[in-house]
Amino acid sequence: MLTRISYAFRETWASFQRNVTLTAAAIITSAVSLLLVGTTFLIQRAFDNLLTRWKGDVELIVYVRSDAAPEQIQVIEQALRSQPSIIDVDQLQFLDQAASYAEAQRLFAGDPGTLRLLTPENIPSQFKVVPLAQDSNLIRELGEQFRLLPGVREVAYAQDVFDVVARLSQFIRVATTAMSIVLLIVAVGLIWNTIRTAMFARRREIEVMKLVGATNWFIRIPFMLEGLLQGMIGAVLACGGLWGLNSAWTGAVLDFDDTELSALVVTGGFVRWIMLLILLIGAVAGAVGSGIAASRFLDV
Amino acid sequence: MISRRGSETSMIRLDSVTKTYGSEAPAVRDASFEISKGEFVFMVGPSGSGKSTLLRLMNRQEQPERGSVWVVGRDINSMADSKVPFLRRKIGNIFQDYKLLLNKTVFENVAFTLEVIGRPKHVIRQQVPAVLELVGLSGKEDRFPHQLSGGEQQRVSIARAFVNRPLILLADEPTGNLDPATGEGIMRLLDRINNTGTTVVMATHDQRIVNQMRRRVVQLDRGVIVRDQERGVYN
Repeated sequence: MLTRISYAFRETWASFQRNVTLTAAAIITSAVSLLLVGTTFLIQRAFDNLLTRWKGDVELIVYVRSDAAPEQIQVIEQALRSQPSIIDVDQLQFLDQAASYAEAQRLFAGDPGTLRLLTPENIPSQFKVVPLAQDSNLIRELGEQFRLLPGVREVAYAQDVFDVVARLSQFIRVATTAMSIVLLIVAVGLIWNTIRTAMFARRREIEVMKLVGATNWFIRIPFMLEGLLQGMIGAVLACGGLWGLNSAWTGAVLDFDDTELSALVVTGGFVRWIMLLILLIGAVAGAVGSGIAASRFLDV
Repeated sequence: MISRRGSETSMIRLDSVTKTYGSEAPAVRDASFEISKGEFVFMVGPSGSGKSTLLRLMNRQEQPERGSVWVVGRDINSMADSKVPFLRRKIGNIFQDYKLLLNKTVFENVAFTLEVIGRPKHVIRQQVPAVLELVGLSGKEDRFPHQLSGGEQQRVSIARAFVNRPLILLADEPTGNLDPATGEGIMRLLDRINNTGTTVVMATHDQRIVNQMRRRVVQLDRGVIVRDQERGVYN
């Protein structure tokens, strides 16, 4: 038994050294594809966090024209407060032009073009409204009523933004999943090719092994171990990359100092689960690629 | 049918075996013969007469279209693939081109056989020097194949085939690449191995050797057995 195990590891190591370039290509491809798999999961998680946070937050904003008279603003506020069954009046919040401008400074920090167009004079003031009712149709109906009030510029529903972000997240999920699947297939193919090449280089040895009565498994195992190892090394590299990426992302998000966006941070526990998953996928990909090669090319 | 026929000492038996490669004429046609334990048999005939195919049928490198091949009391064509390695451990193979592993030393080439069938280290350390002494290669354990003469390389290949003490030795033109004197040395070695009770089947078209040895001769012509003679000569 010990002879067999030491044989398998010796042969695996020797083959690794013989095929440095191909092995490196297979490892790097699996690393990149697995990194993408992991990133897909993290992006998904970040969006889910964000959407969950948003759901419980402001869902309706009534923008007031910048030239509205103070009496008009008062009428709007009264109209809002007259609906305590639908609106959480305690959380009703009015941002005057100065406050709206300050908020805009923050929201459009990444868009100086838009920011330049805004001044404390032309920016609309706004009522941030938290509805009590869960029925979005009811909220929309109410919003349409407010829209007709004099001085109201526009009524925005957070639901719309929410839908856009949800659709965006769905799109990103599909795109990254598709890309990682394609890359994963490429990685399996490269591992398959590496093992096939390794077996071809040793066909004479394999022929002799078969003639003297080595079992197929005895011949296969070092090759399969080699593929498994390539997949796992790729996975370890991907885990390192994922950790680095997530740390950088977390740092960047927290630098924004924005409590809403901080939901985009994915915590360490989840990242560790994803790493474990990546290691597993890497091992399976390596075993599958080399397993197919080792079974198909054993007939010499 | 009867699961086992023939005498108790039967090592190899072919029953009406036909083997065709692709659409060509059969390489072996309706071949039947039996080889007993401890026999030394020459398969003779010109190139392409089916000698090598017959040997390849005996260790299931090939499967016949018709007929059955029995080795050590078993129908090897109905044998599961997973059992074939264990059949081959009872059979040693020698080739015209030696089939040595060029990146391994003499010792490693012979030890390889034992290693791949999972024999422990202490057995390898004991049996390899013994068989190298038998074939006359003591002292050359650490040489690589390219440092040896053709005759010596064939001795390594015989050592490799015999180190596991097989019941049967299949030799395909073992002297084909050697000069007559060296070939004679190889034949003396095969004779010695045969004297230990190992059955030897050798394909050759070397008339001199066959005539000298005076052993059983099975002659093939275009895949058909045309002569099976005890203590025969080439023609």
